[in-house]
Amino acid sequence: MKHTEEIKLTGLLPSVFAREEMPSSQVWRSEVTFRRGGRYLVESASGGGKSSLASFIMGARRDYEGKILFDGVDTAAFSIADWQRLRRDTLAYLPQDLALFPDLSAIDNIRLKAEISGEADMERALHWMERLGIDGRRDFPAGKLSVGQQQRVALIRTLCQPFDFILLDEPVSHLDEANNRIAAAIVEEEARRQGAAVIVFSVGNPLLIENPEKLNL
Amino acid sequence: MSLIAKLLKRNTSAARIAGFALSNFLGILIVSVAVMVYTDTRDIWSDDDSFMHTDYMVLNKRVTSANTLGVGSSSEFSAAEKADLEAQPWVRRVGEFTSSPFRVYASISSGGRGMETALFFESVPDGFVDVAAADWKFDPASGIVPVIIPKEYLTLYNFGFAGSAGLPQLSESLISGIPLSLYMRSEDGTRSLKMEGRIAGFSKRLNTVLVPQAFMDYASERLAPGEKAGASRLIVDVSSPGDVAIADYLKEKSLETAGDKSGSSAAFLLRVAMGIVMAIGIVITLLSVFVLMLSISLLLEKNRVVIHRLLMLGAPLARVRAPYAVMIATACCFSWAGVIISLFLLRSQYAGALEALGAATGGLIWGLATATLLTMAVLAVNMLAVRRKVKGAWRLRMQ
Repeated sequence: MKHTEEIKLTGLLPSVFAREEMPSSQVWRSEVTFRRGGRYLVESASGGGKSSLASFIMGARRDYEGKILFDGVDTAAFSIADWQRLRRDTLAYLPQDLALFPDLSAIDNIRLKAEISGEADMERALHWMERLGIDGRRDFPAGKLSVGQQQRVALIRTLCQPFDFILLDEPVSHLDEANNRIAAAIVEEEARRQGAAVIVFSVGNPLLIENPEKLNL
Repeated sequence: MSLIAKLLKRNTSAARIAGFALSNFLGILIVSVAVMVYTDTRDIWSDDDSFMHTDYMVLNKRVTSANTLGVGSSSEFSAAEKADLEAQPWVRRVGEFTSSPFRVYASISSGGRGMETALFFESVPDGFVDVAAADWKFDPASGIVPVIIPKEYLTLYNFGFAGSAGLPQLSESLISGIPLSLYMRSEDGTRSLKMEGRIAGFSKRLNTVLVPQAFMDYASERLAPGEKAGASRLIVDVSSPGDVAIADYLKEKSLETAGDKSGSSAAFLLRVAMGIVMAIGIVITLLSVFVLMLSISLLLEKNRVVIHRLLMLGAPLARVRAPYAVMIATACCFSWAGVIISLFLLRSQYAGALEALGAATGGLIWGLATATLLTMAVLAVNMLAVRRKVKGAWRLRMQ
């Protein structure tokens, strides 16, 4: 499988910001490169557009100016099939709203991802559930879990696929510090195993990964 | 069942799908049956004739007792009457029937048995006869005369005469192959001609024994030189056969149309009825398509968030479409199979009667083809709707 080595943003700006006076930003209207293997923390105030940025990189939204380049190729030219393939083997994404399926059990939410990506290790997933203290909730419908528990289920689900870049939008906003550290350790392990980049988006309670390159939106 | 399919099938209503399958079945069944019955019975009703356009009408005066006694007006058309007819707005052209001013005897002999009959000939100008020019010409050198006889003659012989006289029934192709010996004699018996006749065809609309004009001229010149019989029948090319003015004119002038079957109005009614039935079937089919598209749209709209989330997880579009495609295909398959079985059952009910009437038998194929084509169209329209809807869920909708 061919890896994507870098994601480069050039002159990127959400369309809604186009007519506004923007405070200085290290991302908007400038040039940023995320490299495979790197650790990044994108911080912003609420409404700074961090979720928008994640959506742009994931191909879910097109309402921006500027360019996003995957190894030099403009993503504007990607087809739906291209994006679907990238989402299966290159880009892992934990959205802020978690996007769990509330009727499915916690374990089925994870199994579903394994079904789609085709090569996830359920043993490891169960082990992660144990470490994050939610193995007792594995057969509960995801919708009946607390937000913190849901965040942990969603995080594990995000890890259950091959990826070169993992984008985590507020992954631990409802977790205590102890769980935050466990989550960070798991993400770190898996990213290292896959040689992938970790990009964390946060407004103030970030995942505690080691020495991330910080970018202010 | 995979988790994806399980998620996507949420909110499906079995009743709605069954409702679609049923209405789709009814709609397609009605259209297919109409097509099948129409093609099957077309031959019975149509008076299409390869020798004569449907626009042609044969006119004669009504024969009264006065004609029999030889008093009163002649049954022949005068020049003035013909001119009056030609002046009617619905008339394109008028041709005269020429009757033979001599006697005709025809005989057939086959397998040691012979039959002889007195006959008459008539001819119309060649432009009124639709037979390939090569088959409808008379060459004195060859001495072969092509003849068109009314189909009723053959029917009368086969079902009336042959049975009672213990003679074999004859098919059209068989009788066309048998040479006809023609013997023609002048009224005074002094001159005669022998020729060979060949049946060029059978006409459902022409109740006469027709020979080419060229032969009529040739024989008249030899057997009855100088005699010119007036035309008692006219062939008229009509611009609009259904025109009421025609019926009025014929009534006013006491004229009769020959070969005019009451069947033609029945055929017209049949055609109208079939048209109405087919239109109803098509409307029902369209409604059923609409029902399915609506319920699919509703379902996909309800599942839009699920679909979007699955697509964000990288599920291929085809996999997301699959459960819906299978659902639609299954419903279509059921209604298609139902229609096919019904067509076979229905046809077995009337196939016997159809054969007795000697009508065409291609109806089943047309019915099956109609059902299959309609099903495929319904399937295609709905698959496209699913494709469009799933693709629509790919991008996050801006709230």
